[in-house]
Amino acid sequence: MSATRRTLLRTALTAGAAVPLLSACVTNGGDDGDRAAGNTGAKSADNPLGVKADAPLEVVIFKGGYGDEYAKSAETTYTQKYAGAKIDHKGLQKIGVALQPRFVANTPPDVVDNTGADRLDISALVSAKQVTDLTPLLDAPAFDDPAKKVRDTLLPGVIDDGTFDNVPQTLNFTYTVWGIWYSRKLFTARGWTYPRTWDAMLELCATIRAAGIAPWTYQGKYPEYINDPMLGMAAKTGGPDLIKAVDNLEPNAWKAPGLIAAAEAFAELAGKGYIMAGSEALSHTEAQAAWCQGKAAFIPSGSWLESEQKGVTPDGFDMVLGTVPARTTSDRLKPTALQAASSESFLVPAKAKNPAGGLEYLRILFSKKSARAFAATAGTLPAVVGATDGLTLSSGLGSVRDAVTAAGSETFTYRFRTWYAPLAKAVDDATGELVNKRITAAQWADRVQKAADGIAKDSSVKKYTR
Amino acid sequence: MTLSLSLSRSRRVPSPPRSFRSFPVHLAMLAWAVVTALPLLWAVVSSFKTDNEILNDPWSLPSTPQAGNWARAWNEASIGRYFLNSLIVVGGALLLTMFLGALVAYALARYEFRGNRLIYYTFVAAMFFPVFLALVPLFFVVQQLGLLGTYQGLILVYAAYAVPFTVFFLHAFFRSLPGEVAEAAFMDGCSHGAVFFRVMLPMARPGLVAVAIFNFLGLWNQYLLPLVLNPDPDRYVLAQGLAALSVSQGYRSDWSGLFAGLTIAMLPVLIAYVAFQRHIRSGMTAGAVK
Amino acid sequence: MRHGRWRFLAGALIPALVLHVVFVLSPYAQAFYLSLTDWTGVAGQAHFVGVDNYARLAEDSLFLDAVRNNALLLVAVPLVTIAIGLFLASMLHLGGRGGRRGIAGSGAYQIVYFFPQLLSLVVVAVLWSFVYNPNNGLLNGALRAIGLHGPSWLASPSLALPAVMAVLIWSSVGFYVVLFSAAIDGIPRELFEAALIDGAGGWTTFRKVTLPLVRDTVQVAFVYLGIAALDAFAVVQVMTVGPGGPDGATEVVGLSLYRNAFQYGKFGYASAMGVALFFATLTLAVLALRGGRKTAAGLA
Repeated sequence: MSATRRTLLRTALTAGAAVPLLSACVTNGGDDGDRAAGNTGAKSADNPLGVKADAPLEVVIFKGGYGDEYAKSAETTYTQKYAGAKIDHKGLQKIGVALQPRFVANTPPDVVDNTGADRLDISALVSAKQVTDLTPLLDAPAFDDPAKKVRDTLLPGVIDDGTFDNVPQTLNFTYTVWGIWYSRKLFTARGWTYPRTWDAMLELCATIRAAGIAPWTYQGKYPEYINDPMLGMAAKTGGPDLIKAVDNLEPNAWKAPGLIAAAEAFAELAGKGYIMAGSEALSHTEAQAAWCQGKAAFIPSGSWLESEQKGVTPDGFDMVLGTVPARTTSDRLKPTALQAASSESFLVPAKAKNPAGGLEYLRILFSKKSARAFAATAGTLPAVVGATDGLTLSSGLGSVRDAVTAAGSETFTYRFRTWYAPLAKAVDDATGELVNKRITAAQWADRVQKAADGIAKDSSVKKYTR
Repeated sequence: MTLSLSLSRSRRVPSPPRSFRSFPVHLAMLAWAVVTALPLLWAVVSSFKTDNEILNDPWSLPSTPQAGNWARAWNEASIGRYFLNSLIVVGGALLLTMFLGALVAYALARYEFRGNRLIYYTFVAAMFFPVFLALVPLFFVVQQLGLLGTYQGLILVYAAYAVPFTVFFLHAFFRSLPGEVAEAAFMDGCSHGAVFFRVMLPMARPGLVAVAIFNFLGLWNQYLLPLVLNPDPDRYVLAQGLAALSVSQGYRSDWSGLFAGLTIAMLPVLIAYVAFQRHIRSGMTAGAVK
Repeated sequence: MRHGRWRFLAGALIPALVLHVVFVLSPYAQAFYLSLTDWTGVAGQAHFVGVDNYARLAEDSLFLDAVRNNALLLVAVPLVTIAIGLFLASMLHLGGRGGRRGIAGSGAYQIVYFFPQLLSLVVVAVLWSFVYNPNNGLLNGALRAIGLHGPSWLASPSLALPAVMAVLIWSSVGFYVVLFSAAIDGIPRELFEAALIDGAGGWTTFRKVTLPLVRDTVQVAFVYLGIAALDAFAVVQVMTVGPGGPDGATEVVGLSLYRNAFQYGKFGYASAMGVALFFATLTLAVLALRGGRKTAAGLA
């Protein structure tokens, strides 16, 4: 016991000495020199980012649905090229809580995959200047195709998705599209075809219900899932102007006819009883499992659905992603237009110890070889052009690729979700109420508009425009 | 309370057959036992089922017990290693907490001096702080001491956060102990330290056991502190390992694996409790007699 | 002797106090200071904004929902838990022959009742989200078996909070049964026998003998359960729609705090919530303990 006490007292004494520094530390100016000093090497054709071969590299990966093996194999490539480098790899789930103090302390890792429900607020990071400008990476030659720059190997929109204040600051590794999923097997067996218009959707829903199947289910525990087709429908009706007005927090943006019409459409879906009973309380895994079991015909989700459902999808189910049906005959975008955005955000912290190594790691990760391996194992489209060429794709991933091809240049995405997280929460809550028939479409628009106005006039929130 | 009224009354009826008299009481007791045990039992049974069985027949027994679920949870969630980490950290913190907590509680309960109440309330007030408020500043404290991600760091922090409750609980306990024995010991020439270690601490043993159990349960299930202070997956404690398992379940629909992980984490504590429950209850009994 | 006294006191108090100041008080003191700034929580800089954060709290409708829900939890969870706990503990002791002995199998009951206490709240919440599943959960399955159609517990604005309460109560009752039954064990047998000879019924015995003598324990239970009810973060975050929904129906202060601090990059604002919560908890605890002491003094 006495030994314990002595050790403790010794620790306590050192601790006592440290106390006065603490309050200065949490909120210090953040200027403690260049951590990267001495960690850069000479640039050359083979080493365009100036990596110092033996500088250690710390990589933090979000270990979610895709695991972190893909990131580790990129690390192996890195150490093959820079034999002296020691890589510290961490696969985590709660990126935000784990890394937040390290950003404050100016001791962040060199590469962060800032993804998952508990990620860091990117907008806060950007406005605090905690993220490295990725332009040198984008202008560097691609890792396995030196004739091309990295920026020319990415799918359309990927660079935009990671651009804040006109500076590319994050690079997203996967390419996600959103839509409404169904089983080709079920639809072929019943002779149903996926509807192109909302009127056709309602008609089909009546048929499906008559067949004893619930037409729709959704991941009620997380109402953002049903937001996506609803806002996607509005985007098709109102076109890019509607999306811009919403993202730029313009007055009455949420009361645009396109948005009201879409909200009415989903209120009608709920009102007619086309949503499976109990959906409102189901988690994403539960709702998706019910759908895989054939209890419901449609479910909204992003293109990650197939890999998430790998374990519970019956053989021959053949899931297919359909684009959101057109609400009106005068929609500004074609029915094939697709809500698409890249995700799985990689960034190099501004205070990284080995930023050149961090950028080089991303150059390796975004190489065609690495992306191809990822597509083959993760069943998800990477953000790299041609990564799936020549691969035999599963039903779901194939339908995603076809949808991307059919959409051509007509892809769209809202940015308010990443820019203003509290607004996203307000929209989710309101939509949950709407599809549970507790508020009307007009009330929905009122509520969301009020929340958007609140953010617009809150001077403490950093604003972005597009 | 109406329920307890009618049930208790029924006991007073002069001479009905005994089985009838206690029947409603038994029923109520049994009902609560079922409500308590059923979800746990269900988790254990589900850990042996396939995902499809869990979805389609949540009620049935597994057609063939799936030992693979357990193997998967054990390997992927590294439950074994996390279990050991938890044991080291919680064991160390528990010893430290009990030692420091008992000293403080005793000193405050049995000695009058200026600032006594102030110190007491300084400790007790900390029970009311929401822990996540301290998380980020705490990270810097631990980091500056060079203790981040170390067993020692976690042990010190765990102990610091468990001492307030220990003081609160033992303070009342030490107050209730008779003073005569201590006085006799002083007469015999014992020092203050000797009185505490040789006389008062043994007398307080039952209370110490009780509060040690509370602390063990609280620390064993601690999740927020290690989340921030213990970022290295190799040093994860059990609660972190389970959370990781639960998150990855959300991306793979692996219910059976999740149930197996829950069961693996649950069983050792249940077994330890059943084995030691006599001591625990007698400790609590003594602890409650004030 | 005096010298030895001070040396002993210093040796007893200083190590723990140092630990307390370094790891508990100093982080919280910083949090108090941060609540007066616009700190984002992801970088070094922060500006002093005075009480601006506190003024914003009053206009944050989600935070006000949280305050309302925490208040409801604070009333319901301790009351129901203690009522069930006291009832079960009394029955364990007096439910048997002639009201003088424990009910048969009381040892086994105490073991089983304690089980939920052994699980972390995260695990409890995961388990109960399966119990509450509207279509194939344990609860609605049981209701179906007796011919009833169960609702979507966690998705209905009026049922979601009670469903959360039920989980908190479920997980704590066992502990208090054991605690109360320990306290009842400490009551001299003769008192119960005297009451019985006087012809007192079960209820009267409970009110006149048991309750006054376990009052201290009940009071501690109130404080402890009150603190748990003001938290409720883990259960709400894992189990509820949203989480915190539907539409704020199960929002609690801890959840708002967590979201603002770690998801919205508003650490200063979140700290203000924490400080407000701290004062609320502290006030209640002081009131509970003060009030209790007065009644106890009156009785003695």
